[in-house]
Amino acid sequence: MWAFILRKLLYNIPVYLSIIFLMMLALRVQNPVYAYLGKNPDQQQYDELSRQMGLDDSFPVQYVKFVGKVVTGDFSENSWAQRGRSVKDILVKSIPPSLSVTVPTLFTSVVVSVAIALLSAYYRGRPVDQTLMVLAVLGMSISYLVYIIFGQFFFAGLPAAEGAWTPFAIQGYEPWMPIGPQAEQARLINWVTYCLLPVIIGVVVAMGYDTRFYRAVMVEESSRDYIVTAAAKGASKRKIIFVHMLKNAMIPVITRVMSSLPFLITGSILIEMYFGIPGMGFQLINAITAKDFPVIQSYVALFAAIFILSVILTDVLYALVDPRVRLS
Amino acid sequence: MTDHGMTMTKARPEHAGGEPVLSVRHLTTSFRTDAGSVTAVDDVSFDLMQGETLGIVGESGCGKTVTSKSIMRLLPDHVTTYGRETEVMFEGVNLARASARHMRSVRGDKIAMIFQEPMTSLNPVFTIGWQLDEALKYHTDLGRRERRDRGIEMLRLVEIPNPEERYKEYPHQLSGGMRQRVMIAIALCCEPDVLIADEPTTALDVTIQAQILDLMNGLKEKLSTAIMLITHDLGVVAQVCDRVMVMYAGRVIEEGPVIEIFHRAQHPYTKALLESIPKRGNKTRGKKLATIPGIVPSLTNLPPGCRFEDRCPFSDGTRCRTEEPALEQGPDDRPVRCHYPLGSDRERPARVTVSAEPTAQEAQD
Amino acid sequence: MIRRLLRSRGMVKFRRNRLALFASGVIGLYAAIFVAIIGMEIYDGIAQAVGGEAKFSLREGTRIRVLPRQTPGFLESQTPSERYNDIRWHHQRMERIFDRDLESMDDPWVQAFNELDLAERKLQRAELGEILARWEAFDEAFLVLDDLYLERDDMLDLVGSIRDEIADLRGDLRGAEASEAEEIRGEIAALEEELAPEVEYLAEVEPEFFAQEEIARGALLELMPMPTGWEGVKYGFRTFLGSDVSGRSIACRAFYSIKVAFQIGFVVAGISVLIGTVLGAAGAFYAGWVDAIVMWLVTTLSSVPYLVLLVVLAYMFTGSTLFDNPREYPELQLVKLYTAMGLAFWIGTARVIRGEVMKIKELEYVQAATAIGFGRVYILLRHVVPNTAHIMFINFSLLFIGAIKSEVILSFLGLGVSGQPSWGTMISLAKDDLSNYFFWEIGSASFLLFVLVLAFNIVSDALQDAFDPRHVS
Repeated sequence: MWAFILRKLLYNIPVYLSIIFLMMLALRVQNPVYAYLGKNPDQQQYDELSRQMGLDDSFPVQYVKFVGKVVTGDFSENSWAQRGRSVKDILVKSIPPSLSVTVPTLFTSVVVSVAIALLSAYYRGRPVDQTLMVLAVLGMSISYLVYIIFGQFFFAGLPAAEGAWTPFAIQGYEPWMPIGPQAEQARLINWVTYCLLPVIIGVVVAMGYDTRFYRAVMVEESSRDYIVTAAAKGASKRKIIFVHMLKNAMIPVITRVMSSLPFLITGSILIEMYFGIPGMGFQLINAITAKDFPVIQSYVALFAAIFILSVILTDVLYALVDPRVRLS
Repeated sequence: MTDHGMTMTKARPEHAGGEPVLSVRHLTTSFRTDAGSVTAVDDVSFDLMQGETLGIVGESGCGKTVTSKSIMRLLPDHVTTYGRETEVMFEGVNLARASARHMRSVRGDKIAMIFQEPMTSLNPVFTIGWQLDEALKYHTDLGRRERRDRGIEMLRLVEIPNPEERYKEYPHQLSGGMRQRVMIAIALCCEPDVLIADEPTTALDVTIQAQILDLMNGLKEKLSTAIMLITHDLGVVAQVCDRVMVMYAGRVIEEGPVIEIFHRAQHPYTKALLESIPKRGNKTRGKKLATIPGIVPSLTNLPPGCRFEDRCPFSDGTRCRTEEPALEQGPDDRPVRCHYPLGSDRERPARVTVSAEPTAQEAQD
Repeated sequence: MIRRLLRSRGMVKFRRNRLALFASGVIGLYAAIFVAIIGMEIYDGIAQAVGGEAKFSLREGTRIRVLPRQTPGFLESQTPSERYNDIRWHHQRMERIFDRDLESMDDPWVQAFNELDLAERKLQRAELGEILARWEAFDEAFLVLDDLYLERDDMLDLVGSIRDEIADLRGDLRGAEASEAEEIRGEIAALEEELAPEVEYLAEVEPEFFAQEEIARGALLELMPMPTGWEGVKYGFRTFLGSDVSGRSIACRAFYSIKVAFQIGFVVAGISVLIGTVLGAAGAFYAGWVDAIVMWLVTTLSSVPYLVLLVVLAYMFTGSTLFDNPREYPELQLVKLYTAMGLAFWIGTARVIRGEVMKIKELEYVQAATAIGFGRVYILLRHVVPNTAHIMFINFSLLFIGAIKSEVILSFLGLGVSGQPSWGTMISLAKDDLSNYFFWEIGSASFLLFVLVLAFNIVSDALQDAFDPRHVS
């Protein structure tokens, strides 16, 4: 098992390095300092910023230096747009808000979608199944943005305007975790106020696609030979679906869940922008709008790392669940 | 086959000689499809006696698998319907009308089934032991240790070397032949009265095939299980079956003891099947392989007369086309569905035959 | 090849699915609108190129003012206040024009009255004297209306506040003791006495107000009637979904966005499928270092979450002067979008095609073709790729709709379409309207988008059902 993981890690290191390479190249297509300061900047400012980010070095040198920074986790340079804050500070502070929304969303949507899919597969072909699938298709066809806008309006904005009560705030974020750097200001109820609505919206959006996909997986597994064997042994329908089929169906389910892992941490950009949650996506968009080069570079490096790690994690989990993979 | 002492846990009710273990009458199975209602099995009747092996033979699509699955009620409920007169009598209960609960108690315990593809018929994510254990858990009261012991005993019985090791392994770690043995072990672990084997050796190569058939024969004797063997391979039938039922396009067209069918086939189709077996010998060198020209009619587009008519070298061209023959006692006092069974005295105008005509003797090499 | 496809068994199965056929019809409808709009714009383009006049000016049509701001569409009736504001809006516009020195103008129609045009609804042609007279009539009528409105408004406020007071007192009454109760009841009585004449007065004022409203509206229509006939139909179309915050026709913008959407869809899907197929097939077929490069590209580019990738690409394109003039060259703006989406979308197709080609490569007929001695490129193009056609097709339709949906999100983030209306821009502009309870803009855009996406989903489902034997319905 450990050899397996080690192998995967080693294989992915060159991949990661090449990602960094491409990314750095892309970000330097335009001179970042010009992009930030405008076309005719003050020479002194130009020099200072250039030096600070090592932009006057040749590209190979920059590349090596940057890789070194990533490996040692050194992100101490200052953000250009947000005075006085180091990139590391921005980075670290933006992780909890993102996680507060995406982790519950992922967890809940998987549980709910799998449950609905099971229901659908169990009653396949009957009215329950058909209704659910129709709803899924309808749900899938509504734009994410529309869900967000209407969700926020009906559950937060409208009641607030009418003076009716609602547990949701329209926008914003306050710390809620009882541990970590901001523990004193944190109150648990803050999560409900600021994060619950985005989570609900996220789950509803995901349900359309996921339910259909999981149902398809389950129905496909249900038509396999071993299911007939199990029935021939006298297993009840419930046993067949929840024991025999489910374990096999979990394999594609896990793959899919794992493949959305990067989004777990990077945060849903739209949700963060709309609800004013200062997560990673939010910071990235702001950085891009402000042409804040250090922040952009570091975030992309981080995202890529997360992606690679999640790929490895997926492979490992796969091996855990599917005995056929383990021994290969 | 070596003899292993086996702990018999089930007292088998003695069937008075002559009384069938399983009695099927007017089995008719229809499916609802996009193209309308399709009747895959049309008015099939037969008896299965204790301790005998009944072979069901026919081309792909003739309805033999559907027949077996109908008995076990393993077809998807929402598209399958049985005929009004259909009776599948087992232990006094009509399985075609029985409750799902009753079926669950019968399946695996009283009637067991093994399938064609050992590769995919076992659940890949559970160990062999788990799958054996499951069957025992449903149908017996044995404790965990006892179940494990019994499972290993079954594996030994089907001649799997190192059964204790295999018990913990996964299906993909075994070869095809092994897997089929495991399937047999699982099927027989609760000592069913009937074993339905749907093309159990088709996916295996010939040497393994022989071993599996031997195994089945031996087990049948030991446990006096009745076996319903479904196959398209007449060689297999000759090896293990006592009686044979030939099916074509959903109908039974001939039935009888193996010896008689092979020596005195009465239905032209049966005869053609026998002729198409490749034979060795000087007389056959240089001759073409005999085949049956044409194809099976589509079940959605059945002819009004005999279903084999368009491929039959003995059709009279008129009555055979318009009137479907009924299943009646033929010259050998066994059922045949033909207007002009071979070996009878009925006159008919013979059409030109296409294939060479070796005797029925040679056919049973 | 097309004929074979159409007659195949899959197509027959597809045809039997009535819902899918209906959905295809809907898509066809959208496509027809798209073609029509493109046709009209080409016509205009040619007309202008030869020095003539543009006949349709569709894009202009999405920009001009047709109604007062945020007028609702066909179903809603307006409150008296809203109707009054309508009339007042017209009055204000006209006042600005009529205050000028019209009599000294050579052609007041060109120099002044044109500005009052609301698309097809214009000032009715007549002699200048007649026009001025009508204006007088309208002006007078409006002034009276204005007074009546203010009076009515004040009255309503007064009556309202007295009623509120009474309600409060009644509330107090419930919890009061005997001694207080007397006092309170007295107060209530006094207030009710005060109320009575006001209510009476209001009952007189109201009908007067409504009557005057009729008169004013009549005068307005004398000056500027609703267009009739064909013009009337056109104007009706413009207004039936109401107007947005700048008074532009929502219907025009929403339907014009179909063109924008389809354009984006076709181009992006086309580019992505093309690149994806070429790279994927090449990688699988030639293996070796070609494959290594392709796989490296695929893995690298897919390591960044798709939205982040798009956003970074957008960043790469900022500051380039080529893209700085949205009004004049809106098509150029789209190139930014095409590139970004194209670069992000090709990955999925490449992966799938690569997988498929790897399978096909091992099939006998490819080996047979190689044995006969056909060149590798020939085999690739003639034998392998056509067998991936069904994948290309499905990917194309998925990416088509994916591009349209992505445009919505990108426009919201400010990185999308500019210079033309699109569903994305409409939705992002309209989200603030919601606080005024104005649903028309966001509703129209969302609805048109929803129907298209739904139709696509149904059709692609049905197609997969019909053609892919393993697909689960």
